[in-house]
Amino acid sequence: MSEVSVSGGREPPEYVCPALGGPTPPLAPRPTPSIRMPSSLSPPPPDEEPAAGPARSAYGVSHGFDEAADPGGVPRPHWKPFFDSLDELSPAELGRRWREAQHLIRDNGVTYNVYGDPRGISRPWQLDPVPLLIAPAEAALLEAGLVQRARLLELVLGDLYGQQRLLHNGSIPPELVFPNPGFLRPAHGVKLPDNRFLHLYAANLGRGADGNWRVLGDRTQAPSGAGYALENRIVMTRTLPEAFRDCQVYRLAPFFQAFRDTLRAISPRNRENPRIVLLTPGPYNETYFEHAYLARYLGYTLVEGGDLTVRNNCVFLKVLGGLQQVDVIFRRLDDDFCDPLELRPDSFLGVPGLMHAVRSGNVAVANALGTGVLETPAFLAYLPRLCRELLGEDLKLESVPTWWCGDPVSLRYVLDNFTDVVVKPVFPAMRMEPVFPGELAADQRAAFAERVSARPADFVAQRKIELSTTPVMDAGRLTPRKMVLRAYLTAHRDGFKAMPGGLTRVSASADTMVVSMQRGGGSKDTWVLADGPVSDFSLLPPSGRVQLTRAGGDLPSRAADNLFWLGRYAERAEGTTRLLRCIVVRLAERSGFADVPELPALLRTMVLTCEPNAAPADAAGTEAGVFRAVFDPTYPGSLATAVRALRRVASIVRDLISIDMWRVLSGLIDFPTDPQSYGEDGPTPADVLDLLNRTVITLSAFGGLAVESMTRAEGWRFLDMGRKLERAMHLNAMLKGMLVHPPQHEGPTLDAALEVADSGMTYRRRYLSNLRAEAVLDLLVFDETNPRSLASQLAALEDDVNHLPRPPRGSSRSPEQRFALAAVNAVRLAEPERLAAVKDGHRPALAELLDHVGGWLPIMSDAITLQYLSHLQTSRHLASTELVRRTATDSGDHL
Amino acid sequence: MIRYRITHDTSYDYSEVVSLCQNVAHLSPRECVRQRADDSVMTISPDPAVIEDRTDYFGNPVSYFTVQEQHRELTVSVTHRVEVWSPPPPDPAATPAWELVRDRLRTDHTPAWLDAYQYAFDSRYVAADPRYAGYAAASFAAGRPIVAAALDLTERIFEEFVYDPRATTLATPVAEVFEKRRGVCQDFAHLMLAVLRSVGLAARYVSGYLATVPAPGKPRLVGADATHAWVSVFCGDLGWVDFDPTNNQIPGDRYVLLAWGRDYEDVSPLKGVILGGGQHVVRVSVDVRPEEEGLEDRTEWHA
Repeated sequence: MSEVSVSGGREPPEYVCPALGGPTPPLAPRPTPSIRMPSSLSPPPPDEEPAAGPARSAYGVSHGFDEAADPGGVPRPHWKPFFDSLDELSPAELGRRWREAQHLIRDNGVTYNVYGDPRGISRPWQLDPVPLLIAPAEAALLEAGLVQRARLLELVLGDLYGQQRLLHNGSIPPELVFPNPGFLRPAHGVKLPDNRFLHLYAANLGRGADGNWRVLGDRTQAPSGAGYALENRIVMTRTLPEAFRDCQVYRLAPFFQAFRDTLRAISPRNRENPRIVLLTPGPYNETYFEHAYLARYLGYTLVEGGDLTVRNNCVFLKVLGGLQQVDVIFRRLDDDFCDPLELRPDSFLGVPGLMHAVRSGNVAVANALGTGVLETPAFLAYLPRLCRELLGEDLKLESVPTWWCGDPVSLRYVLDNFTDVVVKPVFPAMRMEPVFPGELAADQRAAFAERVSARPADFVAQRKIELSTTPVMDAGRLTPRKMVLRAYLTAHRDGFKAMPGGLTRVSASADTMVVSMQRGGGSKDTWVLADGPVSDFSLLPPSGRVQLTRAGGDLPSRAADNLFWLGRYAERAEGTTRLLRCIVVRLAERSGFADVPELPALLRTMVLTCEPNAAPADAAGTEAGVFRAVFDPTYPGSLATAVRALRRVASIVRDLISIDMWRVLSGLIDFPTDPQSYGEDGPTPADVLDLLNRTVITLSAFGGLAVESMTRAEGWRFLDMGRKLERAMHLNAMLKGMLVHPPQHEGPTLDAALEVADSGMTYRRRYLSNLRAEAVLDLLVFDETNPRSLASQLAALEDDVNHLPRPPRGSSRSPEQRFALAAVNAVRLAEPERLAAVKDGHRPALAELLDHVGGWLPIMSDAITLQYLSHLQTSRHLASTELVRRTATDSGDHL
Repeated sequence: MIRYRITHDTSYDYSEVVSLCQNVAHLSPRECVRQRADDSVMTISPDPAVIEDRTDYFGNPVSYFTVQEQHRELTVSVTHRVEVWSPPPPDPAATPAWELVRDRLRTDHTPAWLDAYQYAFDSRYVAADPRYAGYAAASFAAGRPIVAAALDLTERIFEEFVYDPRATTLATPVAEVFEKRRGVCQDFAHLMLAVLRSVGLAARYVSGYLATVPAPGKPRLVGADATHAWVSVFCGDLGWVDFDPTNNQIPGDRYVLLAWGRDYEDVSPLKGVILGGGQHVVRVSVDVRPEEEGLEDRTEWHA
């Protein structure tokens, strides 16, 4: 559980159109046509409110091509069923459904990490309720063009990593290959399964003012976004089921089924049921949600580089029971990050030795290592010629006009038409923002021209095209926004198959022309329309016979570690909340310490649990101190800190907990960390009490789900051990703080102790209002039927460690088994009366027992870590060179 | 021709147990026009679970090996017999003007030229820069024959830079070497590559050994030798010519070649990734012994 700082690494926005308000001469003024979206053919029923619905309000089409309306403002025919269907909905109904969709997105945890976003690493995904519609004939044309392109790119890759005829005959300038960071020399000559390089390929498409689609860029190594497309579809079919039905939209599931078939087919062994993992850079990557989502949907194990290891030229997954061989790696890691031994030495996101395992033919990687070489936009300039040379065909789908400035003729053209182009770095790894010479002042433009002329081979220019617009819902009205479509293809049998859909992205606002999720743009579902009814094939559950199994003993060790900590933080937050609630209740109801004799003991306990190293003197004796323990995220033992840690771990184990568990935890997202959010004077005790009550309910619900809806497999054991260990520690501290030094009249303190331990009701049922220390101790320490007693935590821990997978090496107990047994026996053998005995103002026997057990608990935690999680240590280079540890944000495709 | 018996031992001592280690070794001498190698033996302890030899992208012999048992010490010992000839010295004045080579590299895609062209670009440790082009100007005057210019550059680096093993580490960037004017053979080789690539020429990094010669009357110290690095420059139809900026020499039969690449990263003699290990201490000992003794020299050599 190490913190990794998030820095750098953003891809330039995909494409940008000419700025309308920039220094470029404005386009000739044209009347903006205003269209009325059609009402349904029949007049609205009389009882419907007459107000104009969103679909019927004026839609101001900007100049250029609009997806939904022709230049006259009339809706295009293939949009008609959609608008008709939308027309059936009142604005209020549409608004209600859309709010529901937003909740669905939030509850499902659909996020996109935006670097530098003040809301931290997970911002809700932006989805617009109006999909992009693509007519059947157009979709067929696009698919044919994209399939041809994928075939072509694969042939180019085969040549670059083989004979290199295209370099020798001058078809590809060597300057685009030799210095290309994506050209991986260790991958040269490696024999690939089925000679396949591309298993999932994506192209960014834009439509120009002439109505023609053009490819803006290719994503060949690890394209992102297919999972978001899937999630968008799920939200849309729930939000607009009528429109979805009426429009006859192709399903996405068959596409993913084809992709799964392809990955199965490239497995070097065990093709019936290969072990496939999805390799992610980790939770700090901007599209981590998608990695977790796709892994779950496709049925693959989500792994990080540290979960895998190479032995005997094979790749293994580190699971609790040992090592399991991996056959196929579906990677979302940039290819040069995949092996610190043979590829980029400064990254440990990958797996040392992976390149050699691939070379040995024992594992398949999708897409193949080295495919990133084609992600330089300069290749677009050479594709028409390569297509004729390699396929004997003309390129069906044009690219946006592109010039590599390293070619002298191209350079001259670019400089002569400098204001009409956007200039990009030749290799994406150069991390230069695109430059629009047309938007620069004359002197800056001249300086930039000089820079390009000095190292022309470093630059690529592309003609600016005015991207088409498509309607988005903005404050209840349809408004045009610029858009880019990311289309996906999967390798399928001998060829490729296009996803009937895709991820449509729109610019952030009407006057922003930049289309980039990093810049706050939104996304849309993409509906490819069919000529007739479509089959409603769904990926889950798969057809055919299922092999019945109750196993699942393949939990990655890292996942076990995270679940262990999820349990610990959830319990820590709950225990802290209960304690603080007891304190705040007293602060809220009474006026001062004199009225509340048990308050010093409670505060002592608060300091013991929140700040174990501080002197248990008079610290935090004020309201301010208590509020700090609630809100201050910089205070290590505060509730805010525990909640934050809990949310962070939860986001990491997103793929391991149920959607309901995730939803419950997402209720904590609003936990305030700044008392000022309650206004000038800060919160009143009543406000804090309300917050604590809500938090207790949320955390109890989480605990309940963990008990009721997780199978008692290894994952649950680790979650439960974390909970029990933490609860035992918390109880231990509470008993120490409240019962070791009893005041003269102990009644109120005993009552508070029962309240903190949530055992008051049981006590009263047994003893009515007769508060006696030995009875309280019996209930809170010894009674194994009380789920909140110390003994029951220790007994459960012992049961958990006895159920962990164990290497077969004799019958002797492992260290964590011995500690658990010692702790539970120490408690079982003690006597309540002895513990309750007071001598010189304190209870020595109780203090001794609590010290014993309190000392064993952290040792047990360490023993578990050592036994099951120690091989999570990270790899290092042998040489003594100083290395920069890259963060996950540096790798992976961006949107 | 001189025949050498070479021993190259590397050992790593770890403060903690290493459970897995994967390595790539460029420790077998490459064969080429002026060098023949045989009798290569590599001994690794503990026994590697996997050891495989192949040829890398640049044509060098390379070994991949993994040690999968727990260990606190790793030793890699190689011995070879190598025969080395001195290349006939080129007549610098008779070589083509350097600009002719530079320009033809960009247009001639025949195998030899295309192969050479890949060494004209930036690599991880060596990046062209206008500062280096400025430094090159004094040597690369217009129309100067390429070998004459490269010899001049070799001499200037030798004269203007101080050999100082304490000044740099493996990770010191070329820019810092250029600024401090100090370094060791690897730094001078990287610097010379940066200067040559900054004027558009193709040049590669050569890893190998240099046979040292004891001072008169003193016995040869076994293990006193070291790995060495120098530079090879593509000189057009003449092919590749080697230059050693550390010793201001065109390498002859004292130089035993291991491998070549774009820079140190492509050909480092031994690199590896370990799991565990804590702190570690590396010991390297190299002995390059002529099979016929009797080489006499008074020059001080640096590696």
